[in-house]
Parts: sequence; structure tokens; C-alpha cells
Amino acid sequence: MTERIPEAASWCLAAGLLAVTVLLLRQRGISTRQRRRTAVLTEDLRVRDEELRHLAEVRLPALEDAPHQHVPAGVPAAGPLDARVAGTDFAKHLDSVLERFSEAVGHAQARADQSAKSALKASMRSIQALANEQQVSIAEMQDRHDHPDVLRDLLEIDHTNAQFGRRAQAIAVLCGSWPGRQRSTSALIDVVRGATSRVRDYRRVRVNGQVDIAVESRAVEPVVLAVAELLDNAARHSQPNTNVEVTVQSAHNGACVVIDDAGVGMDGQATERAAALLAGRDPVDVTRLDDPPQFGFAVIGVLAARYGFSVSVDTRSPYGGVRAVVFLPSTLLTHLAPVVEAPPRAEPSRAAGRPAGPGAASVTPVRPTRRAAEPVGTTTAGGLPKRRRRGPQQATPAEQPDAVPAEDVSARSAEENARRMGAFARGTRFGRAERDTTGTPAAPRPPDAPASPEAHAPTNAPVTSTDAPVTSADALVTPRGAPATPTSSPVTPTRAPVTPTDAFVMPASAPTTPTSALRTSTDASVPTADALAAPAETPVMPTGAPVTSYETPHRIEGSTQG
Amino acid sequence: MTPPGRRPGERLVRSYVVTGGRSHPSRNTLDLVTLLIAALGPPLTGLSPEKRRLMELCRPGALSLAEVAGHLELPVSVTKVLVADLMDSGHLVTRTPIPSAGPPSDTRILQEVLDGLRSRL
Repeated sequence: MTERIPEAASWCLAAGLLAVTVLLLRQRGISTRQRRRTAVLTEDLRVRDEELRHLAEVRLPALEDAPHQHVPAGVPAAGPLDARVAGTDFAKHLDSVLERFSEAVGHAQARADQSAKSALKASMRSIQALANEQQVSIAEMQDRHDHPDVLRDLLEIDHTNAQFGRRAQAIAVLCGSWPGRQRSTSALIDVVRGATSRVRDYRRVRVNGQVDIAVESRAVEPVVLAVAELLDNAARHSQPNTNVEVTVQSAHNGACVVIDDAGVGMDGQATERAAALLAGRDPVDVTRLDDPPQFGFAVIGVLAARYGFSVSVDTRSPYGGVRAVVFLPSTLLTHLAPVVEAPPRAEPSRAAGRPAGPGAASVTPVRPTRRAAEPVGTTTAGGLPKRRRRGPQQATPAEQPDAVPAEDVSARSAEENARRMGAFARGTRFGRAERDTTGTPAAPRPPDAPASPEAHAPTNAPVTSTDAPVTSADALVTPRGAPATPTSSPVTPTRAPVTPTDAFVMPASAPTTPTSALRTSTDASVPTADALAAPAETPVMPTGAPVTSYETPHRIEGSTQG
Repeated sequence: MTPPGRRPGERLVRSYVVTGGRSHPSRNTLDLVTLLIAALGPPLTGLSPEKRRLMELCRPGALSLAEVAGHLELPVSVTKVLVADLMDSGHLVTRTPIPSAGPPSDTRILQEVLDGLRSRL
């Protein structure tokens, strides 16, 4: 019995060993699996750490730079680092973090941009207002001071001030402000020259082209500003001894301002960037213009988008530099009265006796408020309808038979004044010649004077001395313009011939001012006495008589207007 | 001259552009009352818009420099520069004011003037 005990014990031991071995083996398998799993998890953790680091170091900064093109667009540049992460919950959470972050960055930037813009806008507006104020004072000084040296200094100050105002205006516009000035409708050529006024090298700018196109008043200031920026750019990037050529031409459905410089061109990248800015599609971020900030193209882009014109700079100029083209669509354009802009062409039609009054022919187009002296005809010589000027028309003699001495002298047109002064000067010369040849102030009239028999008879009834239909002495000196201006003011020289009977010389104390429309002062009436011999012309020119015999040939057209 | 509400500072084309930056007229004989008379010969092509407008103003007869300046809405000194240029190019002829005719001696004429004025006023 006892022999079997060790056997049993050894069996037990063997079984126990077996069990232990099995257990050990199992345990080892378990621990191996565990270790593997741990390794996987560690790796996973490392990947996530890496991913987070990548998020913090790469993806978020990338979003900071471009908050508007967040997650979807930014994926290739700043996607997850490890492809294994993609699609997991972790990646989704990361994306949501990114989204929140980009929103926050976007808001912060928008707010910063907004506040920067409003601060800049407010300060630029005030600077702009000051510049405008200063411009007014400078202009007044220019009017007041007559000395060329003073004028030279004032012109320099004016020029600097204009550039100063433009810079402030450009920044204000970039920050969402309006260009700031309401201008009247202006000729395109004047708009371009107005832009020239605001650049440093205005002497180098040559403006070519004659078109009678005008820019609508609402678009004048923006176009001036845009063209000024282009001119400034052109002048800045070209040699100081070269010219900037500006050509104004009409185009299909609009007009073009072409600006050529002979400077360095732009490379492809610069052209692309300029084109993007000039298109004005994206909102401009004032904090992201280079250092120093390049406002020019951005401003033009804003203006072009807002007012509907277009600017391109992608052509090479034949002079070697850049050709910038501003295209103004016809909605921004209008036409001025086609008179002064083309005088050589207008001249024959006037001579041909067009029904328009002389006032209509001489009124400058840029000042539509000037009143026409005569009723304006309804069609031109070419048969086109003629625009009537706004502003009150002067009364015709039929409506105002009595001479009203209080006529506003400024209501007369320049042409009217010029005609009167011309008649005055001719009369003076004529009278002088008469007196010199005869040796007496009261020389007889020329034998062909039609009014002389009647004119001699009444010596103290001057106003009846001629057959004038208007019994006003004033009408005597204005035979051509008489129907339109029967009512001259007492201070005008035309009142002088109240003694048309045989007076060739008037007293020096007669109250006249030959330059009735003088802006400056009363001391301009100094030469009045000189012109007083003018009545010499009046007795021989009754209002009904033809006057062409006293006119030089080029003034014959005036006779059709009387 | 200047319509109400229009201030000199609002000129679109500034004076220095009009004169090309010059401030001294090429001649010193011009004053406010110098009469400007357009010459017939030279064509107006190639003139700046202001000069052309100036010529248009002077076409019908004669106009004083001050009046031209008023119509162009330019300072007188700037207008002088333009006028001097136009004189140099032969577009304009100027005439200084005609000197006084001397003291009026004929009392009869003076009496007539007086009578005329009295009868009228």
C-alpha cells in the first residue's frame, strides 16, 4: 500500500505541473496579447498626440491666416497627419474644434477689420474735410493775390494739398466711405485733368483726345480718384524724364481712358494680383495690404465695383510699361452741349445763321447754371434737338417794354459783354479818328450815317434821336444784342450815350464802368473816362439798321442774331 | 459772377494744371482792364480747354481780362498766364485801355449831357 503512495504523489505532481504549465502558457498568451494591445493603444495615443500637436502647430495657424476658407478648402494643406485617424470620431472632433476655432478667428478678424476701418475712416474723413477746407482757402488766396511770386507758392501748396486730400480720400474709400464730393456733370477731359491735378508728377502727364463726352455727376469724383491712382502709379513706376500718355476716346457703349507709361512693367504674378484687386470682388482687408500698404489698386477695385466701371492693367504699353485702361460704360456718361469743345467745327454752323441765340453758342458746357442770354433754338444746324439750359430766361423786350435799370449785370453772357466791349472799343477808335481828322470834338457824322438828320434836330431829347423801337438810350449801343438785353444797368458803359445827338466826347465824370462784370473791385472803373467817346458809334447805328458794315468779317455771324 | 453755392475751391481742374505749373506770365503788360481781342489767323487746335474757352469768349468782340477770368472761374493771375501764352502764339491781341480824351472843354456838351440825364432820371 505504501508503495503506491509515491506513485500517486508523482502523478499528482505531474498533473499539477501540467496544470501549471497550461496555466502558464495561457497566461503567457494573455500577457502577449495584452502587450500587443498596449502597444497598439500606445501607438494610438502617440498618433493622437501627434495629431493634436499638428493641430496646434500647423492646422490652426493655417486657419488663422485664412479663416474664410476653413475646413473643407483647407484640407490638403492642413489635414490630419496620419491617415489612420481620418474617419474616426477623433478626427471628427478635431474638425469640430477647427470649425469653432475658425469661426472665432473669423469673428475676431471681422471685428478687428471693422474697427480698424471705422477708426481709419473717421480719421481720414476729418483729414479730408480739413484738406477740402484748406483747398478752399488756397483757392480764395489765389483769387485775392495777384503777384506771380505769391501765386507760385500758392500753386505749390495747392498741389501738395490736392495730393494730401487724395490720399486721405483713397483710404477713406477703401474703408467703405463715399468719395465725399458732389460735383456737377463734367467733361471727360476735365475729369482726366482733374485727376492729373492730384498726382505728384502732373507735369509729365499728357492728355490727348477730344471727345465731347461728359461724366455723370455722381460718377465724377470716383472716376477722378480712380484715374488719379492709376496716373500716380504710372508716374511712380517710370523714369522721371518720361511722359505718361493719357488718351481719351469713345468706345462702343462707353468711353475709355487709356494710360500708358514708359516705365517698368509688371510681371505675371503682379498682374494677377492687380487683376484680382481691380475686379473688386473680394472684400478688401485693410490689415492685409502690404507693408508699406499698397492702396492704389484696392481703391480702384472698390470704386469700380461700386460704380460699375472697369479697369484693366494686363496689357503692355507700346512705350514699354503698363497700359491701364479705364472703361466707363454709357450709363455713367452723358453729353454736354456740343459747342465749346469743338469751336472750329461749330464756327461754320454759326456763320450759316443757325437759329440759336448767341448766348447758346458761347455758354461753356461745364457750367450748366449759367443763364442763356437769348431764347435758345430748339434744333441745331444739323437738325439735332438742342438741350435747353436750366435757369430763367431773360425777358424779351415785348414783355418788358420799359427800361429797367436794375438789371443784373452778371446775367449777361460773356459773349454779350464781349460784343458790347468790342463795340465800345471800335466806337472809341472811330470817334477819336473823327475828332483827330476834323479837329473838333463835335465832328459831323459820316455821310452815310442813316440817323444823322434826325439825330441833329433834338438836342435835349436824346432818347428820341433815332428810330429805335425801344425808346431807351441803352439800346443804342447794343444794336446786335438789343432784343435780348434792353435793360442795362446804370453802371454799365452802355448808359453813356444818352446824348447821341452830336456828342463824341463825354464828361469824364460820367458814372460808367466799362468792365461791368469785374469781380474784383470798384477801382476797375478807372479807365471809364477813356471809353466815353464811344457814342460816336451809336448815332450812326440805329437799332434797326444793319450792322454788318461795322463788323470785321469774322463777326458777321453776330448780325444774324440781332 | 460766381453762381451761388459754387465756391472757388471746388474747381475740378486745379490752377497749376491749367498753367502747367507756371505762375509768371511771359509778359508783364497785362492788367485787369486789358482788352482781349481774338485774332483771326491761328487755328484753335492743340489748345487746352481753358485756352479754347478763353478764345471762344473773346471771339465776338473784346473782353477785359478780369471778365475773362470771371467767366473762366480762374484767378486773375492764372488767367494772365494763359493770356500771355495766347498772345505769344498769336491767338490774342490785347489793347490797353484807351487813354483819356482830355478834359472836356465844351460846356454845351456837358449841358446837354446834364439835360439828358435830368430828363431821364
